[in-house]
Order: sequence, then C-alpha cells, then structure tokens
Amino acid sequence: MTITEPTTEGPKTEGPLELESGREALAERPLGVLTRPQGGRGWRDWLSTVDHKKIGIMYGVSAMVFFVVGGIEALLIRLQLAVPNGGVLSADVYNQVFTMHGVTMVFLFIMPLAAAFANYLIPLQIGARDVAFPRLNALSYWVWLSGAIFLNSSWIVGGGGADCGWFCYSPNSGVTFSPSHGVDFYAIGLLIAGIASLVSAINLIVTCLNMRAPGMDLFRMPVMTWMLLITQFLLLFALPVITVALFLLMFDRLFDASFFNPDAGADPLLWQHLFWIFGHPEVYIIILPAFGVVSEVIPTFSRKPIFGYTFMVFSGIAIGFMGWGVWAHHMFVSGIGPISVAAFSLSTMFIAVPTGVKVLNWLATMWGGQIRFTTAMLFAVGTVAMFTIGGLSGVTHALAPADTQQTDTYYIVAHFHYVIFGGGVLGLMGGLYYWWPKIFGYMLNERRGKINFWLMLIGFNLTFGPMHILGLQGMSRRIDTYSSGFGFEFWNMVATIGSFIIAVSVVVLFHNIWKSKREAADLPPPGPDPWDARSLEWMVPSPVPEHNFDEVPTVEGLDEWWHRKYSFDDDGRVVQIATAEEAAQDGSAKGVHLPAPSFWPLVLAVGLPLIGYGLIFNLWLCVPGGLLVGMGIFAWALEPVDDPDATHDHHDDDHGDDDDDHDDTASAPVAPGDDTASAPVAPGEQQGGE
Amino acid sequence: MTTETSAPVASDADTAAAALVAPGDSNDHGPTTGISNTKLAMWLFLGSECLLFGGLISTYLLYKTRRGPDNLAIPTDVFDIPFTSISSFVLLMSSLTMVLALAALTRGDNHGARVWLLATSMLGGVFIGGQVYEFTSFLREGVGFTNNPASSAFYALTGFHGVHVSLGIVMLMSLFVASWQGKLRQEHSETVEIVGLYWHFVDVVWIFIFTVIYLVPA
Amino acid sequence: MSGFIRTVSSRPCSRRRPEGLILGLALVLTGCAADAELDTFQDQSETARQINDLAIPVFIVAGVVLVLVCGAILWMSVKNRVPADDDYEGEFPTQVSHNNRLEIGWTLGPFVIMVVIAVATLVTHLAINSTEANAIEIQVEVDGEDGKEGKVVTWEPRVVVVGQQWWWEYRYYLTKDITTDDLGDPWNLPEADIVTAGQMVIPTGEEVELIITSRDVIHSHWIPALNGKKDAVPGLYTPWKIEADEPGVYFGQCTEFCGLSHSRMRMQAVAVTPSAFQEWIHAQMTPATMPTDENSAEYRGMQVFSNFCASCHLINGLNDSDYNGAETVSGSAPDLTHFAGRTTFAGGVFNTYNPDGSLNDDDLAAWIRNPDDVKENYADDLPEGALPRGMPDMGLSERQIDDVIALLATLGPRPTAAQILATEVE
Repeated sequence: MTITEPTTEGPKTEGPLELESGREALAERPLGVLTRPQGGRGWRDWLSTVDHKKIGIMYGVSAMVFFVVGGIEALLIRLQLAVPNGGVLSADVYNQVFTMHGVTMVFLFIMPLAAAFANYLIPLQIGARDVAFPRLNALSYWVWLSGAIFLNSSWIVGGGGADCGWFCYSPNSGVTFSPSHGVDFYAIGLLIAGIASLVSAINLIVTCLNMRAPGMDLFRMPVMTWMLLITQFLLLFALPVITVALFLLMFDRLFDASFFNPDAGADPLLWQHLFWIFGHPEVYIIILPAFGVVSEVIPTFSRKPIFGYTFMVFSGIAIGFMGWGVWAHHMFVSGIGPISVAAFSLSTMFIAVPTGVKVLNWLATMWGGQIRFTTAMLFAVGTVAMFTIGGLSGVTHALAPADTQQTDTYYIVAHFHYVIFGGGVLGLMGGLYYWWPKIFGYMLNERRGKINFWLMLIGFNLTFGPMHILGLQGMSRRIDTYSSGFGFEFWNMVATIGSFIIAVSVVVLFHNIWKSKREAADLPPPGPDPWDARSLEWMVPSPVPEHNFDEVPTVEGLDEWWHRKYSFDDDGRVVQIATAEEAAQDGSAKGVHLPAPSFWPLVLAVGLPLIGYGLIFNLWLCVPGGLLVGMGIFAWALEPVDDPDATHDHHDDDHGDDDDDHDDTASAPVAPGDDTASAPVAPGEQQGGE
Repeated sequence: MTTETSAPVASDADTAAAALVAPGDSNDHGPTTGISNTKLAMWLFLGSECLLFGGLISTYLLYKTRRGPDNLAIPTDVFDIPFTSISSFVLLMSSLTMVLALAALTRGDNHGARVWLLATSMLGGVFIGGQVYEFTSFLREGVGFTNNPASSAFYALTGFHGVHVSLGIVMLMSLFVASWQGKLRQEHSETVEIVGLYWHFVDVVWIFIFTVIYLVPA
Repeated sequence: MSGFIRTVSSRPCSRRRPEGLILGLALVLTGCAADAELDTFQDQSETARQINDLAIPVFIVAGVVLVLVCGAILWMSVKNRVPADDDYEGEFPTQVSHNNRLEIGWTLGPFVIMVVIAVATLVTHLAINSTEANAIEIQVEVDGEDGKEGKVVTWEPRVVVVGQQWWWEYRYYLTKDITTDDLGDPWNLPEADIVTAGQMVIPTGEEVELIITSRDVIHSHWIPALNGKKDAVPGLYTPWKIEADEPGVYFGQCTEFCGLSHSRMRMQAVAVTPSAFQEWIHAQMTPATMPTDENSAEYRGMQVFSNFCASCHLINGLNDSDYNGAETVSGSAPDLTHFAGRTTFAGGVFNTYNPDGSLNDDDLAAWIRNPDDVKENYADDLPEGALPRGMPDMGLSERQIDDVIALLATLGPRPTAAQILATEVE
C-alpha cells in the first residue's frame, strides 16, 4: 500500500510534458495569417480557445441562456392555459411558442448542458489533458451556437418561430400548412446543430476510447463517463437519421420535392418513423448524462462506492441498445398495424427492466450509508424519485391499449416532463452544485442551494403532477385553449402557479451563483476535493489548471482517487491514508505543452447559418457562407498543427479531424519532422512512490 | 493501492514511440485502443454514415414505384443499366487503385503513390461525370426532382452519394498536391489509409445502391 | 328523437370495481365532477372498460412501486442521515460494492412483472382490435321506378370518418356496401347516403366500425368514454371501432396537433336507441325543402347562400346538381343539408341552439360575420392562388347574415329539448 506523495516536491517533470509552451516558441510565422493565435486575454481567448474546460463552460453558459428563453416560453404557455379561454396568446403565437419551447429545451438547453458536463468532465475523469481533437471540440461548440442562434432568429426574420410542434409531423410541416419560414428555420437550424453534435460525439468517443490514463481500463471509468460515452454512441447513430429527415423536409419546403406530401403520393408516416428512430434514442441522450451525475453524487454523499458498478454500466448499455427498438411506441395510434403495435408494446415494456435496475442500485448505494444531504445530494435523490414517477407512468403507456387513451393528452406531457425535467434537469442541476467548486473554484452557498432545490422540486411537482390528472380527464396536448365544463380549470391553475415557483427557483439559482461569487472572497477556497469524492477530477486543484494534470495519474482501480485517500485496515475498516490536500496535485507544473488556440472553428461555424439564410431567402447568400466554410476548412488544414518546435509532440492536436475529412489530410504532411525540441526533458523524477 | 511504483507514467521512450507510430495522437502513452485517434474517428464517422445512407435507401425503397397523382415518369422508367453498370465498374476500379496507392506509399514509393492517387481521383471523376450525364439525360426524358416521391427519393439518394464521392475526390487531390510538393511521405501512409477507408466506404455504399435501385426489379 | 335519456355528465360517479378505494381517490383527483365529459375513467362501452380493466391494475402496481421507492428514500433519509458539513469525520459505513445475487434478483423480478403485464396487454390489445360488428336491418327510401320507395337494407354498421382542418365529417353508406378498398383517395370518396359533420350518430348496443382518414394533415379521433383514439392520416384508412352501452352524448376532441385551431376541433358521438337511429336515418336521407315564398327571409337567405356559400357548402335539394366539392385546401366543407338537425356547429365548438331551445343567433351571426374572429383559421388575405383552410369572411351585410340564418334554421328536423341540453357545449 503505497501512498501518492504530494507532487509539490521536486521539479514537476515527467517526460515530454516539459516542453516549452508554444506561446513563447512561436517565433516564425510560416504562413502569416495562418499562424495560430497565441491565446491572449479576455474575449479573444474565449473565441479561439480549444481548451475542453473553457468550451465546456461556454456550452454551460449558453445552455443556461436558452434555459431562460425556453423557460419564458413555458411561462407564456402556462399563462395562456391558466384559465379557460385564455387570451394571453393568439392560437398562432401559442403554436409557435409551444413548438419553440420544446425545441429550445431539448436541443438548446438539455443537450448542450449535458455536452458541457461531457466536455468538462470526460478528459478529467479518464485522466487526459484534453479531448482527442481540441479544435474539433471548439468547432462543435461554435457550430452548435450558430445553429441555436439561427433557429431563434426566425422570431425576428422568419415571420415567427416554427409552428409545427417539436415533432413537426408531416404534412402539417409542409408549405401549405405552415406558410411562414418558421419550419425552414427549424429544419436548417437543427441540421446545423446536428453537425455539432455529430462532431462532438465522434470526438468524445475517441477521447473515451483512446485517451485514457495508464491503467484506466474501460471498467474503471466512472459511471458518469460511461453514461456520457453511451450517450455519444446514441448521438452518433441517431443524428444521421434525423439529418435525413430534416434534409428531406428542407427539400420539400424549399425545392418542392415530394417526400412528405400525401397530395403527391407520399407517405406521411415516413416522417414519423424517421423522427422517432432518432427521437427515442434522443430521450436516452437526454436522460443518461443525468443518470451519470446521480451515479457520482450518491456514492460520494453516502460515503459508499456505487452499488453494482457492473450492473450500472451494463444496464446503461442495455438501455442504449434497447432504445433503438422501441420508437414506434410513439405511433401506437398512428395507423401502423396491430402486429407492429404489439411488438413495440412488448419491447417498450422490457426497457423498464434495466431502468429499474438503475433505480434499485442507487437505493442500494444509499442503503446503510452515511448520507450527507448537500444540495447536490438533494438534487440527486430528487432525480431518483421523480424519474421513478416518470418511468412508472412510462410503463402505463407501454400498454398499447391504455396508450390509446393516454397518448397526446396531458398525461404524456406529465410523463415526459417527469423524465426530462424530473430526471434530466434535476440531475444536471445536482451536477452543477456538485462540480461548481471544481469548475469555478468557489462553492455555491448551501442554504440558498437548498432553497433552490425545494422550490424547484415543489414547483415541478405542482406544475407537472396535476397534468397526469388533466390527461386522464381528457385534456389534449398542444391545445391553445380549453373550454370550461370539462373539469380542467382547477388543476391548470395549480400547474400555472407551480410553473412560476419553478421560475423563482431558477432566479434563486442565478442569485446564488452571483452572491456566492461575491462571498467567496471572504471564504477559504474549496480545495481540490471539497466533497470527499471518488473520481480523478478531484485530484487536481479547483479550478482546474489549464493543463489538467501535473502528471497523468496511473490508475489502479475503480474510484482511483478515493483509494488514494483511504485504505482498509486488517478488520476491513476504512482508514485514511492521506488527506485530499496531500494526495492531490497542486497544479504547479509549468510549461506543459498544450494545443494552440485557433480562430478557424469560429470562422467555419459562422459560414453555416449564412448558407441557411441563403437557402431560405436568397441563394446568393450561400456564396459568402460557402466561402467562409471553405476558408475555414482550408485554413484549418493549413494552419500549423502547433508551434513548430512541438510538432512531434503527443499533445498537439488533431489532424485528419474534421468530420468529412477533406483537406485536413494536408495538414499531416505540413508538419515538419524534426523533433529536436524534446531536449529540455528532465528525466527520472517519477516521484511519489515509496 | 500503489500508483507510481508499478507503472511509471509515460516515459520518454514510450511517447517517442507513440509519436512515431501515430503522429497526432495526443495521449502521453499512445492511443489506448492501439488504433490512432484519426483512424478511430473515421471509423466512427463511417458508422454514422451507414445510418445516413440507411435512411435514404429506406426512403427510396418505400417510394420506388410511387408515381404520384399525375402519374409522371419515375426513374425506373428511364434507367440505362448498361451505362450505369460501366460507371459503377469504374468506381469499383478506383478502390483497386486506392489500394495500390496506399501500398506504394507504405513501401516508400512516393512516385507510385502519386500516380495511383491521381488515378483514383480520375476514376472518381469519371463516375461523377457519368452521374451528371445520367441526371441530365433523365431530366430530358421527363424525370424531374419534383415529379413524384420516387424521383425525389432517387435524386436525394444518388445525389447524396455523389456529394460524398466529390468530397472524396477533393481529399484525394489534396493528397496528390501534398505528394507533388513532396510532403506526403512514407510515414504519412496512415493519412492515405484513412482517406482510403472513406473512399472504400463510398464505393461499398454505391454497390449497395446500385443493386437496390438499378438491379432489383420494381 | 327519443334516444336522449340521460347524458354522461349527469351520471353519478359510481364505480363497479373492487379497487373501489384507490379508484375513489383517483376519481377525486381526476375531479369527478359533473363536468368531465372527456374523463377516460368514465367508460361507457365494452372497449373502454377493457382498456381501463387493463390500465387500472397497472396503475395500482405502479403506485405500489412508487410508494416503496419513495418510502425507501425517506426511510434512509431519516435513518442514515449525517451532518452535511464536509468535515464530517464519522467512521465509514461498510463499503459494500455489489451483491450479484441481489442484483440478478431485481433484474429478474421486474422482468417477471413485465411478462405478466405483457400477457395481459396482448390479450386486451387483441380484444380491442377485433371487430364483431353485426349486420342490422335498416329501413331506407331509395329512388324507385315511381318515385321514392321503401326498402330494407342490411347495414354492416360502418362509418367513414374524415378529418380536415378543423372539423370532422361522418359518412354513412347504407344502400351500398363500402369497404376500405372501395374508398379510393379521401379527396374523391364515393357519394354517401348520409354526410354529417361534428356529430356522429350511432345505435346503442352495436359495435360500429370506423374507417378513419384525413383530407389534409393528421388528426386524431377520440371519444374517451367509448374507446381510445386513432389517427386520421391523409392517404391512409385506419380501422377502429366504437360502441355505446346506453343512449347518451359522448364528447370528443381532436388529439393530434393539426395546426391553428387544433384546440377547437371537437366532436360528439350521439348514441341513440335503435328505433331512434332508424328515425334519424330517415330524416337524414330526406333532402332539404327549399322555401318558395319570395318575400320570406328564408328565400332571400337561399339566394345569399347560392351567391356566397354554394361554392363550398352543399345543401342537398338546393345545389346538389352543380356541387363539385369545396374550394378549400381539403376540398371539403360541412354538408349543411340538415344543419339545424345538429346541435353544434363550426367543428363542435358552438351550440346551434340556446338552452331554452331557441336558435343561437348570436353565435351563428358572429361565425358568419367573421369566422376567424371566433375560431381562428387561414382563410382571409391569402396570397395569390392559395386556397383557404377554414371559412373566409364573405363580407355579408347584417341583413344577409340574418337571411342566411333564417334559411339554415329550416334545414333539418329540429332536435328535442332534451337533445339540445345533452349536447350543449360551453
């Protein structure tokens, strides 16, 4: 049993990490403008960064902005439905608002918030310095952001938002039935955002598979990383399907093709199949990251390891696989034959099994533990309870006959909000409170955090709990108003009150962030490991230094970090062998070579929405858009892989990385071959062991 | 729980070796899977592409014979199977030249690699030329993109494939130019291999499309 | 019509099932008020009962699981709680990392439960997807050699249901046997003996087969008390069925998002006794009688109708000879031949009559004056060449509106007071 020594003593050296930083070394400018930017300060740094942590933060901040946008849309919906014959919104505006609420919350809030965690945490949890392709990572973010802004710009330039529902069933999405440009923006905006998610999925899968620290076997990866990895695989295979659907929709609307127009002999169910083959895995894309958060938070605050790691991982994989065989349960009443309905009804029921395993394993993790109810833990436990409700109501509509009564009513709205909000959002909120000190170097105030949690939990249940009742009482989904006389009044008013409580809880969250930051100056810093946690991200300082690890750790088992702090005595009792401060790295390594920043991902990303506007309004606009994209790719490929002195190094980034892979191949040959610069390596000093 | 004693963190030699094997892999100890990052990324991308073409092919199969209410011409009415067979054969041959290009570069034959890369992109170009000719002659014979679901699906599927081939040609030409400038050497053979993966994939997809669209009777 | 004995809404909330207690609670929660015409638990047909008999035990199982999970969480929250501050230094709990036997157990346990549920589901699924409609004999009048002659036809109870933005059409084929194969495309359906809108009349105690389709976007036909819903997909005929134990009015609502006025696309199934059904058939198959007194409001209304309305609407007996479908996107508009025989109009959102039995002139006038004002649609200020979806503002003067209403009031046998009260919408 040896203990890791603190790394503060002696020179921080191990191998080629000790290269001079590219910033000083960048003397020559072989290609003038194509020289990579030097990072710099302030906004310039953020625009050109390829650091997975900064990109993760940008994802998170943007996601929260769109959370507010989607939340305002939600409040408008609830205001309209608070009383019968509501007059807050016209039917037309209501249809746009509920469509954009769904699209925003799914594609512009939860997915990027999960991407924020994935970007920030995967490299740290597997002991890597960055993702496999840092520039591609920046590209993913900028492309996603440009798609998100493009999508929302339809409010201003497109004659309103899309009004076809987030599922946008044909033929209601056709030009005849939705003559404004909203649906065009929907199709192209989601295509752009899809490129981002696809690139990001490839990048993160390669990172998980290839960038693990020595000893970090797949089955030593934290459950969070596992769930994120499964999510990326789902994205990898689900996105091309929705891409096809969106392209065909775009062809229909802009170029008069006939893929979805029944007047022209098309089959309107084709869209439904394509959409839900994507759409059902999408549900797991949303929920699995939250499962990951819960699987990190519960063990930490129960002071026990996760119960049944193997079952947790394999049930996640099982959900990922089974998620592909259940899509038609969204179509039980759509006119597919009774045999298909029966088959999909059965497959849907059995997906409850691995999901149940997860819930029971979380409970078993808490069982007999010592539970510290921090805000993060409250959110995690709340997630388990709320997701259980969502899962159980899911079982009730796996019964195809019962679903004929439930589908497209508020019962479904209740169900998927319990899954997506109760599971996904509460889980990720817990993640925010849990990793906040790691990311920003100060703690969020616990008292305000608990107010935030309880308000959100109560508001959530007041909003969506009554919707179960409303649905079974026969209130249809997506109706902009209802008459009195069906018994809908009371619970709708309750739901509206609940939604404003959720809004208050979000205000409390933002207030907490702001106030805690101000108070942090007077408080001791949180240190590397404020929660006594278990995985590798807690062995580096908070906030995480740019180079992540002073020294890439060698992993000996699951919960590596915990085992560096604790051991067992002869009676099997846990004994502390090192404090977190002793065992952690101090982030003082100097000159660790890092990938150089680049502006080209941003340039490339700006071109895409221009092409989008061009397709909708005037094809000439596609020319500058295409030029920007082309220039971005060309310059990307030609810009030196890194500073000339470092080209041999392992930590320079990506060649051959852009997803459709043209041109970038040229970057490999550009790299000069001399690797003289590895000289300043001080050998030896693999310190630490006894 | 030992950490350091048993497994020293990546030594110089390790990394140097890793760098030699797979330049561009950014881990201190080489890629965990032994497949370089770039190659792995390409495999994943191609996996994703399978579903893209899967979706398009399914759409075509569903709509294959749908003439629409105006009973307009569908692509199967005007197929010129001998012509398309020849252009398919040309594309198939380009896979062979692609293999030869990689083989040449791997054994250090830079000139051979250059010639075979050029040949591959030329064969690809011939295929694209054939497709352009096919499209224009179909249009002349009254099979327009907007005719009916069958023709929309045909042009979407073959068009998407054509765009993929064209991107492949751009990649091949980039490699060719790099080789011309002497920047594509033996140690870069993996780059060629990766482009080759993409190229073979596009070929295989075409064989599938050709069978499904042209050969299987309606 | 004598069929309107009582309505769903006046039923007491009595339950027949042993799960009374839980159900009672559920019903309190679902607001088992007098007004809950769409309540899925107030089943009024064999099919709806079969669905609830499957769903309610699963609700109970789900409830038990939920109570167990939440109970475990609460119990542990109390029992295993330690102070939340991060320097808690208590002795560590036993570090249990897994227990394969337990975990296999709780993988298999839910699996077994799901198998049981799956079997029950399949049984119900097969039951509600099989139809056993009995042919019934109906007395109709057909064109014979010398005028109308009575004839008895055997009718396989079957109604073709067509959705369009934003109302439902119900087509009855009595004198010819029509199956899905005979229907062709939904824009050119074979001529039916009875075409009505917004209210589907069915005989009690008979299983009525529905053939559902749409003429524009996807809609969904749902009468919760009688059966689950089924989508109306353009270009597709989806089979479904409906039946009612007792005479009554069963409310419905379109449940697939179908654009602007989706929320105002409603319908009712009106179940009547077989003899009342026979009467209804007879009335519906009689063409409207047109006014002849040139000085009457009805006569002027007929002229207004011919000038402004006849390009879309049909009155059998007035413009049936030169009617070629409506100039709308769906190619259809409600058949008005028996307008006054229906108690709702404009997609089931307005009452044709006031509760006291008088004609609801206010809503009728408001609707004709500017339909978009009272039920939003896309019919005015259209771009060049576009067809309306919904009813345009025809720019009628107040007098013309009054005249048209006078004409409409004559169309069809006036419903009874009981019927008016039972079908009333808010």
